[in-house]
Amino acid sequence: MKVIVKLFGGLTTLKDFQKTEEGDIIFETSEPLTLGDLITSLSLNKKPFIIILNGIIQNELSVSLKDGDEISLFPPIAGGK
Amino acid sequence: MKILRINMSTDEPTVKVEDLGEYEGLAGRALTSAIISKEVDPLCHPLSADNKIVFACGLLGGTAAAMSGRLSVGCKSPLTGGIKEANAGGQAGQVMGRLGYAAIVLEGKPKGDDTYKIYINKDGVRVIKDNSIKMLPNYDLIEKIKQEFGEKIACISVGPAGEMKMSAASVAVTDMELRPTRHAGRGGVGAVMGSKGVKVIVLDDAGTTIRQPKDPEAFKDANKRFVAGLQKHPVTGQGLPAYGTNVLTNIINEVGAYPTYNFKEGRFAGARKISGEVEAELEKQRGGNPTHGCHRGCVIRCSGIYHDKDGHYLTKQPEYETVWALGGNCGIDDLDKIAMMDFLCDNYGVDTIEMGATIGVAMEAGLLKFGDADGAINLLHEVGKGTHLGRIIGNGAAFTGKAFGVERVPVVKGQALPAYDPRAVQGVGVTYATSPMGADHTAGYSIALNVLKTGGFVDPLKPEGQVDLSRNLQIATAFIDSTGMCLFIAFALLDQPETNQALLDMINSFYGWSMTDKEVVEYGKKVLKFERDFNARAGFTKQHDRLPRFFYKEPFPPHNVVFMVKDEELDQLFNW
Repeated sequence: MKVIVKLFGGLTTLKDFQKTEEGDIIFETSEPLTLGDLITSLSLNKKPFIIILNGIIQNELSVSLKDGDEISLFPPIAGGK
Repeated sequence: MKILRINMSTDEPTVKVEDLGEYEGLAGRALTSAIISKEVDPLCHPLSADNKIVFACGLLGGTAAAMSGRLSVGCKSPLTGGIKEANAGGQAGQVMGRLGYAAIVLEGKPKGDDTYKIYINKDGVRVIKDNSIKMLPNYDLIEKIKQEFGEKIACISVGPAGEMKMSAASVAVTDMELRPTRHAGRGGVGAVMGSKGVKVIVLDDAGTTIRQPKDPEAFKDANKRFVAGLQKHPVTGQGLPAYGTNVLTNIINEVGAYPTYNFKEGRFAGARKISGEVEAELEKQRGGNPTHGCHRGCVIRCSGIYHDKDGHYLTKQPEYETVWALGGNCGIDDLDKIAMMDFLCDNYGVDTIEMGATIGVAMEAGLLKFGDADGAINLLHEVGKGTHLGRIIGNGAAFTGKAFGVERVPVVKGQALPAYDPRAVQGVGVTYATSPMGADHTAGYSIALNVLKTGGFVDPLKPEGQVDLSRNLQIATAFIDSTGMCLFIAFALLDQPETNQALLDMINSFYGWSMTDKEVVEYGKKVLKFERDFNARAGFTKQHDRLPRFFYKEPFPPHNVVFMVKDEELDQLFNW
């Protein structure tokens, strides 16, 4: 199984991963993988706060991932004018 | 604190200073909305002598309270035809407070076409006829004003768009560097100031002191706790200082709520190129600054300085809504071009949100292609020059849509929607539809809970819970907009009860009040009631509290959802 991980807002990984052309992480595993497992395996500099799975905000870390999933991770952030 | 009234109708404008009287206890948005609601004929033409424009600092304006420098600008809006409160950062709010004015009200209208400047200091008010400043862009104007009055001033001004009375014209407020970069952008408040013949108000607080609290020790302690709370919260203490508001581009794009190509799609391929992360890095590389306060006493410091390729000042750091409006919404992914458009909007004095949405409509009409940054820049120059085309664009998205026969026009009550699609974030759709201001994200920023998970989480893609969410936020916002506080304090207030309490303690110790959360809610409701009441008398009905129909009919990719909150539910928003 292969998933794509996008890091934003100053999040970085302390590990070397294969990357896409845009610089996103290609995470491959043959084992079943939950969102929580993935985040642990990424060795991030900060704990992600906003987790988006295929465009949907996901608050449940036990959800199982499947091949081709896209995960976007953000620290706490905000804005407006 | 006093109300300063300047009547521009007579050959020699008249100046009156009054006690607050029936407006005692009101400030900021509460004061502008109360004065407009009580004193302005709701059926008047917005550019007539019967309209008034009110500038008001908040409850804590001119005090030592951190974050308290916001300025409210109120009038009957030429864009919406309803009541308007547009809000700006910059120095003017604090300086006004130190000068002892809770509000400055411009009334009447000159008979001729002379241009005036108003100089206010501790000794009084001078209204000076000066036709040499007529039609100057904001930056040129402020340079000229500096030569005359020095650099220890704050200015409130209009650019050529305001003088031409365009419905998208803004009121500019100078920042800490005395640049006209902070704007009360929305609703055409600049056109109303322009209609009064007033080009600039120069505020000089030399020889004044900060306003003194009733209980100085308690005030000092509360301010300390308040600042500590802002610094502790990850949004106000880290996210906003590091990347500014444009940190939102990536997240709103990733959740598929980033309106692109005039609200056709929720993801923009070029989003990363114009994101806050890239913008901040570019500013650092070029000698700009991504962490900067828009007024003295700001501890969040989400503004910034944007330099061009050669390392010269180009504009202030374009905000998220600006980058979206003039960038992603128009299919433009070039930050330097967007920054140039930000400068042009500030210089000519027009609202960046309204201009971006308008150019998107012009692109939809085929006037220029999506992605044509140079074409968009040219359109803004047309606005500044006041050509026939420029006057169409400068009157906003609804006007431009009519001029070019476009059906898909993203406006509510005539005011353009900001940078979050109401189909993918249903809570903000409720705010857009029902706010007395027209489509305005700041009136009830549901993004905080729908996306950013501050203060809880309400699923953005479902209609359930959105009316309650928007109602609570609209009430709380009406109060915060009256304190003079920057709205961004709300992120810390939502998550940290002790920071919320610190704000109340600050207000109570300053005035000798004993306000509780319950009274905060009543205060916010009172403000909304002034505004709704004015709009009702101006002819607004519940049918005006709706989104354009295409949001109910066109599924929005990638989630392919429509706006699902029912009309009957929207009608319950103000039934508290």
